[in-house]
Amino acid sequence: MKQSQTSRVVSYVIVLLMLALYVFPLFYLFNVSMKTQTEYLLDPVALTEGIRLENFSEAWNKGNFSQYMWNSVLYTGMSTLLTLILSVFAAFPLARRYVKFSTFIYIFFLISMYLPNPLIPQFSLINNLGLYNTQIGYILLKTTGTGIAFLMFVGYIKSISRELDEAAAMDGCGYTRYLFTILVPLMKPILATGIILTAIGVWNDIIGPTIYLSDPNYQPVTKGLFTFYGQYMNNWPLLACGILIVTLPLAILYVSLQRFIVGGAMAGAVKS
Amino acid sequence: MYPFGKGKARLIPYLYLSIPLLLYVVFGFGPSLVTVLFSFTDATGVRGQEWSFIGFDNYKTFFGASNAGDRMDAIGRSLYFAFAVVIIQNAVGLFMAILINKKLKGDKLYRAVFFLPVVLGVTVSGLIWQLVANPLGGPAQSLLNFFGTSSNFFGDYNIAFELIIFVQIWMYMGYSMTIFLAGLQSIPSDLYEAGYMDGASGWKAFTNITFPMIAPSFTVNMLLSIIGALQTFDIIYVLTGGKFNTTTLAFDVYATAFGTGTADYGLASAVAMIQFLFVFTISMVALFYLRRREVEA
Repeated sequence: MKQSQTSRVVSYVIVLLMLALYVFPLFYLFNVSMKTQTEYLLDPVALTEGIRLENFSEAWNKGNFSQYMWNSVLYTGMSTLLTLILSVFAAFPLARRYVKFSTFIYIFFLISMYLPNPLIPQFSLINNLGLYNTQIGYILLKTTGTGIAFLMFVGYIKSISRELDEAAAMDGCGYTRYLFTILVPLMKPILATGIILTAIGVWNDIIGPTIYLSDPNYQPVTKGLFTFYGQYMNNWPLLACGILIVTLPLAILYVSLQRFIVGGAMAGAVKS
Repeated sequence: MYPFGKGKARLIPYLYLSIPLLLYVVFGFGPSLVTVLFSFTDATGVRGQEWSFIGFDNYKTFFGASNAGDRMDAIGRSLYFAFAVVIIQNAVGLFMAILINKKLKGDKLYRAVFFLPVVLGVTVSGLIWQLVANPLGGPAQSLLNFFGTSSNFFGDYNIAFELIIFVQIWMYMGYSMTIFLAGLQSIPSDLYEAGYMDGASGWKAFTNITFPMIAPSFTVNMLLSIIGALQTFDIIYVLTGGKFNTTTLAFDVYATAFGTGTADYGLASAVAMIQFLFVFTISMVALFYLRRREVEA
């Protein structure tokens, strides 16, 4: 089927206009980050007069970003790792129906999407357990074996032949060893997407730290950036540097793992 | 049949499964049920304070008290937010997916860029738009000045909420688009060729071939965005903090429970229950119609 030349041109024009709507804010952010405060105040929109990388180190120090970054890495790393292990623990027996009431338990996990907001009792609970404002409490909260990774794993495990389980068991392989030495390596592609989607979710959470972590020493970078914004509301060049500092690791990760992220988002959506 | 041994070995899957199950019951499912309970009490966030059952008083407070106008506004705004986001985000997402699916040069780049805000997250995306919409001479202001007008943007009672809707759609349009693209790419091209022979091209091909074939991705997109939009409030938190007429039910739950000086858990839980009823009803109705459409297709 041939498309007319005009329709192709129109398509390009629309897509490029849309692209501008996504790229322009980032470009502008970068431009502002290179300015001095005076330069910004005189004309916010004008192109920067020079490259000022020292703005970044100033923002890094004033915003205490090293502490926030470290916290984010800790929370994201730990809860993603635990989430993945628990998701395998839950997904394998349910996908294979190796436990009684498999279907029921699966649905029980699924309905979490529709349940009333658990935020308030959850907060009371964390408070009463003495886990408020603790790193362990926050990691625990962000760890779940029933989220998007779990859903993706169930679908994926169903596509792995059940005969493999039987063959391995015949050779004397136990359940635990099977999970970690045979199943997990087979799940590599879906594990990658599971890791990334879970990690993005934990890393980007702003409400969680706002509610559960009042001590700045324990807050992750999202909350740190937001506090920084509150403090330097009138110094946009400094703020722009702060935003870029937070954006950069994510952007690099995204560029290098884009295939998994976009593919995983689809798998996660379609299989839920 | 369970292949990994008998007797005690039979219990290992239960043992492992019990950890995520326990976490879910304790931190997710349990608290959800307690929300129902809380909504009928006068519980507060003050430690050690007694609480008792007060029946439907919280619901009466929500619908009947002096601030009822605000609350009803929040309901209206939640629905407005959800409908605007669901319709525009999916319409634009589908449109862009169809364009990109035409094998335009650089399609991978477009997909990556449109999906980027999801990766950057709500704090970064929100602050970027705060910068662009800075009332003191930012580019959005310059644009308005060019047309001889001006605005406070996120500080403007009349348009702050619409701007939040815009940023929400900007953030998640790429997500919808990606799911639609997956649906479009699963349509075999000979279907179009056959349709072309029968005289179906352009709009006809779209309504008779494309639209039915992407019914499943349509369902997924609609449901995800309905549930997501009705529960979203982090974007409001980042952009206006609920000021300038921008609260929704979801934000109300948060503000009533954790806002400064309130900590009214009973009332907040009642709001959460009302929000739940909206999410549940609307998504079930949508699911019913969307599934029926899938079957017909």
